[in-house]
Amino acid sequence: MKKRVISLLMAAAVTASLFAGCGNGDAGKDNSAEQNADAGNDSNADQNAGADQGDDAGAADAGNAVDGTEAPADNGAGSADGAELALVIDVGTIDDKSFNQGSWEGIQQYAEENGVSSKYYKSAEATTDAFVETIELAIEGGAKTIVCPGFLFEEPIFKVQGQYPDVHFVLVDGEPHDADYNYETAQNTMPILYQEDEAGFLAGYAAVKDGYTKLGFMGGMALPAVIRYGYGFLAGADYAATEMGVDGVEVTYYYTGSFDATPEAQTMAASWYQAGTEVIFACGGSVGNSVMAAAEAADNAKVIGVDVDQSSESDTVITSAMKMLSNSVYDAVKSVYDGSFKGGETAVFNASNDGVGLPMAGSKFQTFTQADYDAVFAKIVSGEIKINNDVEKEVSDLGLTKVTVKEVQ
Amino acid sequence: MKKKRDSIGFLSSLFAIVVGLLVGLVILLISNPSQAAAGFITILTGPLTHGSKGVGQVFYYATPIILTGLSVGFAFKTGLFNIGAPGQFIVGAFAAVVVGIKCGFLGGIHWLVALLAAMIAGALWGAIPGLVKAYFNVNEVIACIMTNYIGMYMVNYLISTNKSLYDKIYNYSKNVAGTANIPKMGLDVIFEGSSVNGGFFIAVAAAAVIFILLEKTTFGYELKAAGFNKDASRYAGMNEKRNIILSMAIAGALSGIAGALLYLAGSGKHIEIADVLAGEGFTGISVALLGLSNPVGVLLAGIFIAYITAGGFYLQLLNFSTEIIDVIIAVIIYFSAFSLFVRVFISGLRRKREEHAAGGKGEGGKKE
Amino acid sequence: MEARMDYIIEMLDITKEFPGIIANDHITLQLKKGEIHALLGENGAGKSTLMSVLFGLYQPEGGCIRVRGKEVKINNPLDANALGIGMVHQHFKLVHNFTVLQNIVLGKEDTKNGLLEMKAARKKVMELSEKYHLSVEPDAVISDITVGMQQRVEILKMLYRDNDILIFDEPTAVLTPQEIDELMNIMRELVSEGKSIIFITHKLNEIKAVANRCSVLRRGRYIGTVDVAGTDREALSEMMVGHKVQLTVEKEEAKPSGVVLAVNGLVVKSKKQGHTRDIIRNVTFQVQRGEIVCIAGIDGNGQTELVEAVTGMIKADGGSISVKGEDITKKSIRYRNTHGMSHIPEDRHKHGLVLDYSLEENLVLQDYFEPQFQSRGFIRRDAVHSYAEKLIQKFDIRSGQGTATKARSMSGGNQQKAIIARELTKKHELLVAVQPTRGLDVGAIEFIHKEIIKERDAGAAVLLVSLELEEVMNLSDRILVLYEGEIVGQLDPKKTTVQELGLYMAGSRRGEAG
Repeated sequence: MKKRVISLLMAAAVTASLFAGCGNGDAGKDNSAEQNADAGNDSNADQNAGADQGDDAGAADAGNAVDGTEAPADNGAGSADGAELALVIDVGTIDDKSFNQGSWEGIQQYAEENGVSSKYYKSAEATTDAFVETIELAIEGGAKTIVCPGFLFEEPIFKVQGQYPDVHFVLVDGEPHDADYNYETAQNTMPILYQEDEAGFLAGYAAVKDGYTKLGFMGGMALPAVIRYGYGFLAGADYAATEMGVDGVEVTYYYTGSFDATPEAQTMAASWYQAGTEVIFACGGSVGNSVMAAAEAADNAKVIGVDVDQSSESDTVITSAMKMLSNSVYDAVKSVYDGSFKGGETAVFNASNDGVGLPMAGSKFQTFTQADYDAVFAKIVSGEIKINNDVEKEVSDLGLTKVTVKEVQ
Repeated sequence: MKKKRDSIGFLSSLFAIVVGLLVGLVILLISNPSQAAAGFITILTGPLTHGSKGVGQVFYYATPIILTGLSVGFAFKTGLFNIGAPGQFIVGAFAAVVVGIKCGFLGGIHWLVALLAAMIAGALWGAIPGLVKAYFNVNEVIACIMTNYIGMYMVNYLISTNKSLYDKIYNYSKNVAGTANIPKMGLDVIFEGSSVNGGFFIAVAAAAVIFILLEKTTFGYELKAAGFNKDASRYAGMNEKRNIILSMAIAGALSGIAGALLYLAGSGKHIEIADVLAGEGFTGISVALLGLSNPVGVLLAGIFIAYITAGGFYLQLLNFSTEIIDVIIAVIIYFSAFSLFVRVFISGLRRKREEHAAGGKGEGGKKE
Repeated sequence: MEARMDYIIEMLDITKEFPGIIANDHITLQLKKGEIHALLGENGAGKSTLMSVLFGLYQPEGGCIRVRGKEVKINNPLDANALGIGMVHQHFKLVHNFTVLQNIVLGKEDTKNGLLEMKAARKKVMELSEKYHLSVEPDAVISDITVGMQQRVEILKMLYRDNDILIFDEPTAVLTPQEIDELMNIMRELVSEGKSIIFITHKLNEIKAVANRCSVLRRGRYIGTVDVAGTDREALSEMMVGHKVQLTVEKEEAKPSGVVLAVNGLVVKSKKQGHTRDIIRNVTFQVQRGEIVCIAGIDGNGQTELVEAVTGMIKADGGSISVKGEDITKKSIRYRNTHGMSHIPEDRHKHGLVLDYSLEENLVLQDYFEPQFQSRGFIRRDAVHSYAEKLIQKFDIRSGQGTATKARSMSGGNQQKAIIARELTKKHELLVAVQPTRGLDVGAIEFIHKEIIKERDAGAAVLLVSLELEEVMNLSDRILVLYEGEIVGQLDPKKTTVQELGLYMAGSRRGEAG
């Protein structure tokens, strides 16, 4: 009898683990999907998106970002199984509202405009070998150009770039290197990096210009990219305060130490809002989910998103400090096809090539206008504004004049 | 008789697999009718059509889940439900990675020491639920679930707070020294291009050791007796507490080795700082169920599940979204795990018949 | 022919086959109106199958059933119920957290406007209860009442449904002697009110006490029907078993020679919360070499705990236990097992056997660790196998596949034989046997009784615990009566009667403690 009970338990655990398995890839995602549900947003739970696919593949309407998942089926009707334009992702999901999704949108846009077949491949596990295997699978499927989003692909690209000289590789947000960090970019590879400080600057500037005086920055781990966002944010706020001549702009500044949505992060964000913080720049993966949850629970609390336009995640998001992933991926792919592909060196995307920015159309500003945005954007492009983006420096060495920074330890 | 029962086990596993595959086929048909047949063939033959590399990958994926399957299956044979495999797995992996990073001076025996460390760490971690059950009568399932989370968070903490272990850019553990990687033992030649390594031989050896332990030794006799009938084993004077603790420790050691073999595979696997329990530990439950907790069965079940998972990977060559593929593979594994129920059902029928038969024989014997 | 109408049920020439075995081979059973008809047979003789056919659970391959002279086809228990046939199962089918009344009414509830209407039902139940002297407490919850009362609830269930053909399947197996007597009275009452009863049993004295006629089955065959009054127990048992059976145990005078087991002031406290009464209260007794000492008492008076304390299954909370002068109070079970104690446990499925182990594995359950059966931690399968073969031969253990048979698929008698073979073969000087013949048929009981006496004559000390008064009287050399955890009397079976023993067991008489 006991044995029977145990086996039932085991079966139950298997069931549970299967669902856990579904959730694994997108640990933070579950939250966001939940938050979106009431916003009438297009992000179905992943499983649904997949399950529906067969039925309404034909009904995929343009403009609906998440319908990206259904693209392979679209292509399948007419073309062969393979695709010459491939996105290879890690173990996350395609509609992650982040790198995977942004890159995929860029690829899709180009594929649709030019009638090129496209497809994405997902890795079996998060190891260098598995990434290599997946890239090779894409090549087996006929891929001529492969886009890999995220620095996890630095080593895999390093391994395959020499092996497949006829295939073009686009590495978003990273540069190829081997296990011992010897960097080398082959002629058929194009790494893309972003100047996060410029995006952060725009966000900080816009927030202060829009009348916010109590700001917060909640970063994930203190990695260079995150620090650049943060320092840019501080500089932008300071620049705006100086320009407007207002005093008393405060920024509470903190790194949570992880990119996960944790109760601690949510509690901290809630306490900031409680203490008068009006808007928090949530800069660190799923940390954003925690901050948004706290903002939704508080009155009049706002959030600034990061990397991609996160306005669909929560009504509290007023704008996002974006890397224009789809733009840059689109440009990179386009360059492969029109022959202007510049392999062998890293492409830096910043304001000057529309690689970073704020999504003004989807932003909820009161007084900050498109004209204001264009003006400051032009100043960055022209080099009139110089942002101190040295990540080795402390906050106190940034030379801020108007803004008081409260660093939380 | 014994043979007959074994064959029931095998048949019920086979039956469960067939049902799982059929349900998988139905989902394929619903999601993309025009490619369902091709998709089904890809799932069944994918790894084989990708040459020696494809086959090698199957063995590579099978290695850790064979061991976690053995871990769960062994505990189950002794009447314990080791749902703590994910925790033991990650604690073992941690020990292996620490030794792998810090003890480069060990040279040729480096990987062996790392493996041993993982085994010991896993055993200690597994022994905790055993101790708690033996001395405080706390159900091992509850204790195991706790140790899963404690293990995961503890490892996350220990890595992320230790500069020498932590690669903060990638947010995972640093690379282990090359000497800590499990030697390929010639498998890289046979299965060129795949990540398979000597770890697979270690998994097979572990299955053999567990088989011998359970079937040939007095210790296995005691453990199985306790698993079948705890009261009878007490009546026979077996040391219940000791057996529970040892049994959980051995199960933990197996999961610990599983962790070491995955993270020392040289495939570029790192311990990620994420609040997620190791999936390999849970897959071990499926493997144990499909393999009916029998070491040989677990070995085959591990290879089968790895094979199907690899087949699902190749399914991406056709037009199936990755989500659907995940669902299909999960369904196949899930149904396969039902083999136990099929077996209970079949042997239930058989038992009824046997009891009638036994009644008849008993009387027949008294004729004289 | 004219007598036909006398039969309320006739099962003629019933044949029921299962794959590989004929469970009922042309069996005829005729039940007269107003009689108690015993159906006698050993375990597996086909009694239960026959009753299942009558109850519509199985469809026979051959033969026909007539009820009240009319041929009927019974497809399911509902059909049987409609024909007025009711059955009290060996294992009661009651809802444990329902009250007595709810259980009786269950399935035949009256409703009024869709709501339960219990008033009429309560009235009817109380009337039936008074009429047949079936005293029950209608509002008590089943899990709170005694087994005897639960059985009365089952009987009332049948009466409430106006059944007049009642089948009792081994109804006395779970009852105390007093409860058995009570049941016999109830059965007599029922037939005097016009009911007819089929009484399934393998206990001869119960048949003698209550039945009018008796049909005997053996190995699926119909042996015959006899008038109980004109047949003695020996004849009945011969019909049942197929050969002569010794019903009284023959044994010589005991020759006690030296104390083996000495229990001194033993105390076992209750582990249940809120219970302050000790389960075993200051029990002192001795068992000598060459004698059988029997602990008698009504179930639940501490026998189980006493034996468990002696064998080490539970800790003693006070007092001491010694074997051959050595204090073993604090020793492990294994130590006791390897230092002269053999133990035939009360529950052979729970303790005595690992049912999923083979017969040979079970036969070494107490000594697999001895050098004889292992070397360097590895089991010596050959040695185990040949040892098992030897025991199977010596104790005549029958099983389908010899040593490889799973214990689970063996019959109860052979399972018990396996335990006895194991415990008697291993080195020992003290045998603790708890209800060694429970649930076994006459043949097996005879065998086990002989073995126990052989033990005694070979110089072992035997501590026997039994709930069967007949066994207590027949087998023991000395009787200790346990009542509420105390030894209330020491009796000599040759100088006492069952009635006197009963008084001690009920606690209404006390003598000097053993």
